[in-house]
Amino acid sequence: MRQPWKLKEVVLASLFGVVFGIVYLVAVHFGNIWAGLIGPIAYEWMFGIWFIVSILSMAIIRKPGAALLPETLAAIIEVMIGNAVGPRLILTGVIQGLGAEAAFAATRYRHFNLAVMMLAGAGAAVFSFVYGYFVSGYAALDPSFVLLMFTLRVLSGAIIAGIGGKYMADGLLATGALRGYAISRTKQGGARA
Amino acid sequence: MRRLLHDMNPSVKFIIVTVSMLTMAFFFNPWTPLLFWLGILAMQLTMSRINWKLWTLMMLPFTLGAAGYLWTTLVFGADTGGEVVGSFAGIEVTDKQWAHAWSLTFRVMAFSTLSLLFAFTTNPVTFVMSLMQQLKIPPKIAYGTMVGYQFLPVLKDELNQIRQAQRLRGIGRDRHWGQRIAGTRRLLIPMLAGAVRKAERAAFAMEARGFTGERRKEFYQPVHICSRDYVLAGIFLMVLAASCAGGVLLGN
Repeated sequence: MRQPWKLKEVVLASLFGVVFGIVYLVAVHFGNIWAGLIGPIAYEWMFGIWFIVSILSMAIIRKPGAALLPETLAAIIEVMIGNAVGPRLILTGVIQGLGAEAAFAATRYRHFNLAVMMLAGAGAAVFSFVYGYFVSGYAALDPSFVLLMFTLRVLSGAIIAGIGGKYMADGLLATGALRGYAISRTKQGGARA
Repeated sequence: MRRLLHDMNPSVKFIIVTVSMLTMAFFFNPWTPLLFWLGILAMQLTMSRINWKLWTLMMLPFTLGAAGYLWTTLVFGADTGGEVVGSFAGIEVTDKQWAHAWSLTFRVMAFSTLSLLFAFTTNPVTFVMSLMQQLKIPPKIAYGTMVGYQFLPVLKDELNQIRQAQRLRGIGRDRHWGQRIAGTRRLLIPMLAGAVRKAERAAFAMEARGFTGERRKEFYQPVHICSRDYVLAGIFLMVLAASCAGGVLLGN
């Protein structure tokens, strides 16, 4: 599995980054309103939204880096279109992407079923939580509260990103737009319309 | 003077901002983030020309988020001991928790101000060009990102079109947020399908015009690092070091 990336795959990852960049911006505004009321835990249950692009792109492109690159590009584009979270977001994107990538790498990029995707969502959640623990200073919080946040985030990663990502990939495959990508070349591609 | 931050090399700015944020993560006293926050505000005030009205508007949600941090840390703070300084609604707050809570709150404020400093003074296109030229990001990725960025308005229009088309066919407006979440798939799938087609077309067009994605030494729009960037980086690091030292001194 050492094919180089084609330009159209890079551009695809970038455009997905734009589409999800818009989704993320909406989600951040939604989250900020909550966060004022119920604190940082507001984001935890919806954290999976941020990992979808990794899983969706990996489902389509199926090459090493297909989870890391789109998440990073989505973050760069979010910074470019003026996300106030700023440059720190790029690092966050890289770390989340690495988390999802780790799950696919562990299965050697051979399996792209629901279980692996949920694992990838959970992986992204774990990586991002460790990073968040450090940067946002969760060490100052009660361990049981931190554990609650962690559980919520992992569940959100597995359910929203894993199941949601698979659901999106299937929906997209059915539109027939994905001819010419790895997802259509496998047996599961029979669902093509 | 008022253009300094705008003219700073974006990659240098990016690295400095990231380093500052990671450094802040090691401090749990309230003074370090507070001093750093004030330092960044002073830099923004003296070395840039920005729309302060917009800045305040952007800052507002973060201030809300910071308030959330404050009370979460007060209520759910780790039990670190120390003297009880006050109690509210049956929750006793120790002096250490009090300090931690303010520290995290000021950290959020410092991070947001720093982020806005970057966002308000950096041209997005120059930023990507600089990432490619100074930080050696492969051209394929840099220009791929630019394509995505240029397509942003197109995708926004397309989102409106899809919405209007669906309304024409009799799909009502989503009222509750639950309906809205369920309705995102209906909007996202056509958006993504459109994105796939656009990506393919753009990539073919780029390759047809001779874009190979190989690394090069010369660029159409060169972005340089000059002495000004070293001076500014030095000022940033001095503010950072001063607030770290000041925080430790005041914290004791």
